[in-house]
Amino acid sequence: MQFKSFDIVPHGTKIDFVGKRHIAVVLSLIANLAVIAWAIPAIHGLNLGVDFAGGTEMQVRFGQAVDPATIRKAVEDLGFKDAAVQTYGPESEHSYLIRVGRIALMDEGEVKRVVDAVNAKFPVESWNWNKDIGDKIDFQFKGALPAQAAVQAAVEAAGVKVREVREEAGLTAGTRSYAVITQGIQDKVERELASRFADAKPLVERVEYVGPAVGRELQIQGFKAIVYAMLLIVVYVGLRFDFRFSPGVVIALIHDAIITLGYFAFSGREFNLTSIAVILTVIGYSVNDTVVVYDRIRENQGKYKGKSLADLVNLSINEVLGRTFLTSFATALSLVGLLVIGVGTIFDFAFAMLIGIISGTYSTWFIAAPMTIWLEERAARKKAGPAAAPVQQARAAK
Amino acid sequence: MERSWYWRVGLIVAVALLSLYQLVPSWFYFRLPPAERNGDAYDKSVPRWGPNAAKHLNLGLDLQGGIHLAMGVDVDRAVKAKVARRADEIAEYLRNKSVPFASAAPADGGMRVEVKTDQPAQVKDTVLEGYGQELFASEVPGGVAFAFREKVLSDFKAKAVEQAEKTIRNRVDKWGVSEPDIKRKSNNQIQIQLPGFKDPEKAKELLGRTAQLEFKIADDENPVLDKLRGGTEAEAGGTGTLPVCPHNPDGTMKLPLPETGCWSVESIELPSGGQRQATEVLANNRAELEKAIKAKVAPLIDPTKNVIGIGEVTSTGESGFRQTWYRTYLLRAKTELTGDYISDARASVDQSGAGQGKPVVLFQMSPEGARLMEKLTTDNMHRRMATVLDDKVETAPYIQGRISNSGQITLGSGRSYQDMFAEANDIALVLKAGALPAPVTIFEERTVGATLGPELVRKGTVAALVGLAAVLLFMVVYYRASGFIADVALVLNGFLVLAIMSMIGSTLTLPGIAGFVLTLGMAVDANVLINERIREELRGGRTVKQAVQQGYDKVFWTIVDSHVTTLVAGVVLMQYGSGPVRGFAVTLIIGLLASLFTSIVVTRAIMEYFTRHETARLSV
Repeated sequence: MQFKSFDIVPHGTKIDFVGKRHIAVVLSLIANLAVIAWAIPAIHGLNLGVDFAGGTEMQVRFGQAVDPATIRKAVEDLGFKDAAVQTYGPESEHSYLIRVGRIALMDEGEVKRVVDAVNAKFPVESWNWNKDIGDKIDFQFKGALPAQAAVQAAVEAAGVKVREVREEAGLTAGTRSYAVITQGIQDKVERELASRFADAKPLVERVEYVGPAVGRELQIQGFKAIVYAMLLIVVYVGLRFDFRFSPGVVIALIHDAIITLGYFAFSGREFNLTSIAVILTVIGYSVNDTVVVYDRIRENQGKYKGKSLADLVNLSINEVLGRTFLTSFATALSLVGLLVIGVGTIFDFAFAMLIGIISGTYSTWFIAAPMTIWLEERAARKKAGPAAAPVQQARAAK
Repeated sequence: MERSWYWRVGLIVAVALLSLYQLVPSWFYFRLPPAERNGDAYDKSVPRWGPNAAKHLNLGLDLQGGIHLAMGVDVDRAVKAKVARRADEIAEYLRNKSVPFASAAPADGGMRVEVKTDQPAQVKDTVLEGYGQELFASEVPGGVAFAFREKVLSDFKAKAVEQAEKTIRNRVDKWGVSEPDIKRKSNNQIQIQLPGFKDPEKAKELLGRTAQLEFKIADDENPVLDKLRGGTEAEAGGTGTLPVCPHNPDGTMKLPLPETGCWSVESIELPSGGQRQATEVLANNRAELEKAIKAKVAPLIDPTKNVIGIGEVTSTGESGFRQTWYRTYLLRAKTELTGDYISDARASVDQSGAGQGKPVVLFQMSPEGARLMEKLTTDNMHRRMATVLDDKVETAPYIQGRISNSGQITLGSGRSYQDMFAEANDIALVLKAGALPAPVTIFEERTVGATLGPELVRKGTVAALVGLAAVLLFMVVYYRASGFIADVALVLNGFLVLAIMSMIGSTLTLPGIAGFVLTLGMAVDANVLINERIREELRGGRTVKQAVQQGYDKVFWTIVDSHVTTLVAGVVLMQYGSGPVRGFAVTLIIGLLASLFTSIVVTRAIMEYFTRHETARLSV
């Protein structure tokens, strides 16, 4: 009895993947370089989320219950990026923690105006404003220390509201200085929120910068971990298959990671911890995909002795074509729900993953295995090189 | 059926039942509305026959929220400590350069170093030559004052907060809370969010402990101890107004002690072999004792040579109640060694000596620390060495022999064994995780909601379920009966992953779900590989039974290799990665192992059952 089955991908295909590798490599190179270039901060850069770049946090209290989803929408409409809204304290308090991308608490123009105004009244020896803190200006005065109220009046005359003028113990004997803490943005946010939620009477209790959840050190640590992981993949694939196969896996996974990154680079969507997870997932997926094809090449190497590597690669990719396609299809299928209903971070998660899966499938066919052939050819040429040289010398001697 | 088949089916059934059993606490946890999950309601609802109730699946901050703590780092205190250290360095430096000076000590509330000298110009030039990059000088009556430059100080403060953040992160990690969110704020504060709402008190205690461990030598030979005696011995030069501590007829301390503090003597063995009566000042609580020290003791001692350490004493009082009071130790000012040299610590039970059976903290020193400790104990044989943890003298035993790479801290007695062991555990944990560079205070403690917001979480859950259903349906439509078998394995795979994650009490976040999706994808892949291979074998004209056997045999190494390659990467990420990367890796590893099991063992056993006869038919 002849076995019959319904196949999405017909069996016995003879697509020449290896023959198209030059076009594929050029295409991939262009795509990868474009992503890398676009992700360089000087050119365009990634939209680093609060997780990496730090952000501004506001604590807002409403007079009545407000839906966090509405608040997030309102805050984003006001022009703040990547808003996350968290209930703060018991629900009966209607307090929310709103985290947004970095905003300037005071811009340089405002700071200059304030300093000039204060300097006009009380000669200033030196002043200091840290952009990372944003709302605090330190003044050290030349003459006797003016009254706190007078300094506050001077600053407010320049159009910047003051929350507090704090005396700071100077470290030089005898000198004293003031820290003026302004509340530039706080009023603005409150006014804008009040215009949206008139009934709920929003009260902005504080606005301040928060640092990144993933600081420099954690970033370096994570990066190192990924490099070590790749090295171990090289070793494992080398031992189980052949060391000529190892670079292909690693190049394919780097390729897929970069293409996935491309989604975040070109769409300008927030790049955060979840994005990192997506990229790691795509890498895992890409490795799995590639290894399955390698496995078939290994099997066919034993079966068809004497066939050229290019033919073996082509044959193997075609033999597992159905499987590669089906697996990618099934995994993509699991994302359908997220793509249709998902919003914000969840949509980004699903869409980037989809791109990663497509890239993973493509790189298995056109990058990983053909890469092995290229390495093989190069090795053959190198071997031929030194072997050819003595012949030439011999000719010259004649 | 073969004998091994029964064994395998037995294993599968056992694994399936065990995973369901492990999921019992999680089931009861998620059945409750989010607000009640972390309270008593959960503890009451979870059945007694289930596994450890504390081991349930937890949701991360993005999906459920948790507790929010804002901790202020007392950077001024760190600055003062730095100034004090610099004063010592300057003294040492001037001595080396043979510049005459009387003293170098912190002044002006500890913010400046004041050097008393009659050669101010020379001292100023010499010090600035060495420390001009960091310090500036101003002349004051009787000497020169040095202060740190503004830039140096602000860098130092930032460093201190950074260090505190690192230490806190380390402690949270060692405590076993996964997926925290720890951020620095601009005002020397650190903001910590921990998923779930359990035990905020414990969190505050553990994260707030400074854990500054210092070893100091007791200065028992110092004649100033005699001067501390007040009352009848006022003529000896002491301040003479502290009363003698009253004793009961049986020799025990009569409590409560006078509010002003009082003095008593203890018999001390000296390294020379003799004995002496050393004075100690006692009071009912730390505040009273500190007041007494400030008024009566501090004027007598030279702060550059000695400090007063405070310890806690507990004994059984008259009425049988355990009572506590506080006492002083006269210590050398120099900190001989700090907790920075500790490489490992753990709670244990004292095996030796008087404290037998009591919980203690055992610690291991780093090689450098061991060298210093050996020198310290050799030089001070038979003196008392005080172990000072967060400004409290925990113990001050005599040095009986050389100590090098390990030691133990005995805790103040007087509490239940459980309390003491819990404290020993806490201390061990913070010693391992490192000390905070400055004390921290907790400014805020609130509960916070999910960062993704309830509506996103709801939508996300629905969407994920839709995706899962689509995959299951696809497998059945495409592979028919074999697809259904694969679906059974996939569902079992999901349960297995969730069960293992519950067992280790891990926290599920959105990135974690990404890892979960990947492993489900790989489980699907394994089944696709198997079924495609079986189709291939069938096309080759084999019988169903042969095709299934051949298919599984040939695909075995493919599945192992593809899983192990990813597994290798997962293990590295878990070892070296931190925070979210690590959480992802854990989920990945669990998922891969589960997928290996379900695809190689589970589906095969089912397939073999249905194809046990040579004439079996199979839709694939």
